[in-house]
Amino acid sequence: MTTFLKLEKITKKFSKIVANKDVTIEVKKGEIIGLLGENGAGKSTLMNVLFGLYKPTSGRVLINDKPVKFSSPKDAKSAGLSMIHQHFMLVDNMSVTENIILGQEPNKMGFINYKEAREKVIALSHKYNLEIDPDAKIEDIAVGVQQRVEILKALFRDTKLLIMDEPTAVLTPQEVIHLFEVVRKLRADGMSVIIITHKLDEASEISDRIYILRNGELVDSCNACDVDSQMLATMMVGRDIIFKTDKKPRKETGIKSFKLQDLSYKKMDGTYAIKNLNLEIEAGEIYGIAGVDGNGQKELAEVVRGMVKEESGEIIFNEKVINKYTTLERMQNHMGYIPADRLKFGLIPAYDMASNLIIGEQDEKKYTKKTNPVWRRIVDVLDNILGEYNPVRGLSIINKKAVIENAKEVIKKYDIRPNDHTAIAGYLSGGNQQKVVVGREIERKPEFILIVQPTWGVDVGAIERIHEQILAMRDCGVCILLISLELEEIFTLSDKIAVLYEGKIVLEKPAHLTNKNEVGLYMTGGSN
Amino acid sequence: MKNLTTFLINLLSAIIITLGVILYLSSHFIGLPMLIVGIGFIYLIQYKNNKKKAIQSLKSLGKALFIPFIGLVVSLIIVSIILISTGYNPLMTLKTLIYGGFIKSWHSTVLNATPLIFTGLAIGFAFNAGLFNIGAQGQYYVGTAVATAIGIYLPMPSIILIVIAYVVSMLLSASYNIIPAYLKIKTGAHEVITTMMFAQIASSLSGWWVNLMGGEDPVHKYKTDKISTDAWLMKLKDLVPLDHINYRLNVGILVAILTAFVCYFILYKTTLGFKIRAVGHNKDGAKAQGIKVNKIIFVTLLISGALAGMSGVTQVLGLEHRMTYDLSSSYGWDGISVALLASGNPIGIIFSAFLWGGIDSGGQYLERVTDIHKSIVEIMKGLILFFVVARYIYLYINTKFGITKKLFKNISHSHTP
Repeated sequence: MTTFLKLEKITKKFSKIVANKDVTIEVKKGEIIGLLGENGAGKSTLMNVLFGLYKPTSGRVLINDKPVKFSSPKDAKSAGLSMIHQHFMLVDNMSVTENIILGQEPNKMGFINYKEAREKVIALSHKYNLEIDPDAKIEDIAVGVQQRVEILKALFRDTKLLIMDEPTAVLTPQEVIHLFEVVRKLRADGMSVIIITHKLDEASEISDRIYILRNGELVDSCNACDVDSQMLATMMVGRDIIFKTDKKPRKETGIKSFKLQDLSYKKMDGTYAIKNLNLEIEAGEIYGIAGVDGNGQKELAEVVRGMVKEESGEIIFNEKVINKYTTLERMQNHMGYIPADRLKFGLIPAYDMASNLIIGEQDEKKYTKKTNPVWRRIVDVLDNILGEYNPVRGLSIINKKAVIENAKEVIKKYDIRPNDHTAIAGYLSGGNQQKVVVGREIERKPEFILIVQPTWGVDVGAIERIHEQILAMRDCGVCILLISLELEEIFTLSDKIAVLYEGKIVLEKPAHLTNKNEVGLYMTGGSN
Repeated sequence: MKNLTTFLINLLSAIIITLGVILYLSSHFIGLPMLIVGIGFIYLIQYKNNKKKAIQSLKSLGKALFIPFIGLVVSLIIVSIILISTGYNPLMTLKTLIYGGFIKSWHSTVLNATPLIFTGLAIGFAFNAGLFNIGAQGQYYVGTAVATAIGIYLPMPSIILIVIAYVVSMLLSASYNIIPAYLKIKTGAHEVITTMMFAQIASSLSGWWVNLMGGEDPVHKYKTDKISTDAWLMKLKDLVPLDHINYRLNVGILVAILTAFVCYFILYKTTLGFKIRAVGHNKDGAKAQGIKVNKIIFVTLLISGALAGMSGVTQVLGLEHRMTYDLSSSYGWDGISVALLASGNPIGIIFSAFLWGGIDSGGQYLERVTDIHKSIVEIMKGLILFFVVARYIYLYINTKFGITKKLFKNISHSHTP
């Protein structure tokens, strides 16, 4: 086989930070390459260098043994390179055909020739078994289908090398199998494919060869058939990783501590994001909700946290109806929350770590200084007149000493790095940000905790630790509602598994009585 | 024993600083070295107690002042180019401007800065919650109107009258923001639109109010009656028994500086400020962590209104002693520039207000003594604002040419909207 692309000794430095160091990658014609690496290992930088977004500090890019210099992604595209990003680059309110031909419209004297384009798209989709409706609008089709559109888009413009960034992140197991079939077909037609992923099983299943990046350097390259995921993980992280989290059988408590009854939530556009949802969680149980993104997970989390108001139904916690409780009251009743998007919902990125570790509790006695009795009297009088909108009600002075002490304690206990309570939360690494959130929530001694995608954007090495902490919480009798898009995680942690599809629970089974195939089938609504 | 000495030195420094400020503001430039010496004393004590922290605070101050300084220099260079191209000597012009603004007409700089500090604080305070109270001008009018009515019609002993005037005007100008704030939290109507409309309403009604307060006199058609002398703020001339103090200078400027420190305290040391800044930095996060975002927005807009009202009261009680039907007054609008320049930091607002006031009075002086048109001052203000506010230019330069990252670390985290 002849070499199609070669990245030769690519080094990229940002002032002092070395993002890539002497990385050499070779892609042959008709070969599938897996590119593995943790967050921040330098995968994105490498791809940006390849696509001409960054200029390498040293090293060169060769295509068909000829050195090339791309100054923009446009040049790279015209050389036959194509990339499918994790977040698809499609125009929502345009049709499938329009999206595919965008930028390369076949035209007749300046007019777009839709008929020809549509036929070409249909022919391509038949050839590669990529089922699509050429006239549907992007916003109306499922994520898995959108990915097919992205692939067709690449095929339409004569791609010789296709790069896919985390292609399986949004797919169900069945869709993954289908995607791999398509990719193999592409390989048979002589196309080269690079798959960037952190899912080790999939990497060894689909790839011919695997390159592993760590801290910007190429650790190893190997033939996929020679390695298993355990070895890959060790190479990727640089130490041994235990995959099987030690999960003890659950203690049956029999206390139904958290219930949702006929819960419905209506979105702004009038459609129901959640419809008549029922579930019960026992104390000391992990209830895992699987599902494809956009089936009501986000809304469910927000309703349970009290950030938005439900349309109808009841939320019951410890035999109390808590529908009317504000977010703060729910927190004071020991309901915790570990959000998926921690920079948006879990932290104030511009605040330092100490402040982030007390946020929500800032008005509590232990973090405020004692106020002068005269002043307290004034505040009380104003409270009587103005009620909630009394501007001086929250005007107690923060006890900085107590805040810092608390921070030091949590940082030590949960091994957050850097060991500096003044570090700005937004500058921490993903794993350490998650440690801040998890540590804060556990320290508040929750009785119920809502956990959404706890390992999203977290390094492989940190995942096992987070899983251990969640299981430890369960063993202490905390009632846990886990919402995750990663089936692997749901199966590792949950005692009971449910599938959310179009705002309804379509399957609910104890974890040992179901399997990934069944769950995957229900995730796409395949049961009806 | 050691504590007592520290306390005494601190007390002494505080007295020196206060005296220095008063003297400096009343055009006795001996106040400036006093101020520096006082601050130096306090810094030395800090340095002795905790060397690392003291050095760090000095470093962070330098970092904070770096960008405004560069912005100032760059805009002065461009102004010089404009002056050269129109046939004037830039060095002479700038020298005259600075001499006029900061030495010769220093008293008018102080008088200009007083209302600007208040309106700047009003807008800057709202910045911290991610709000843009662009209609501070309207709340300023409400403040002046109420203060005038109280000053004319309420017979009371001096100090009580002044306190009542302040409290009532602040309450009413805060209430003037109730409707915009309510609309913001209930319907999401943007406060830029609503407060601006309310500012227009206030400015239109001010003419009617002036007539009502005795403005129908044919001699003073655009002015109300004078308020009773009981309501006047104390003059600096009476406070410090020294010569050459301009008779218009009053304690209003001290109130303004004190208010700025109070605002700083509220924003950075109290739980209310903690919540306000959290909402400003990350609304969704604040909401998810149990902060009542709507309530914070409501309260912040009201406090912002009260601060803008204080500007009006101080102006009436301290300087003008009456309300004038003056549509060209623009303390509310200038307050936006002042707040932006300091990126919402209350202490920074004191300095940016003085800068703005100084450029204004310097411009007037320039026009009096040379034939350069005053509009050069407006050009200069615009350029300074542009080069200081447009921090992203520096970020771009940084990424392009790789100047050490440390220096620019804080820039991307500015909370101005």
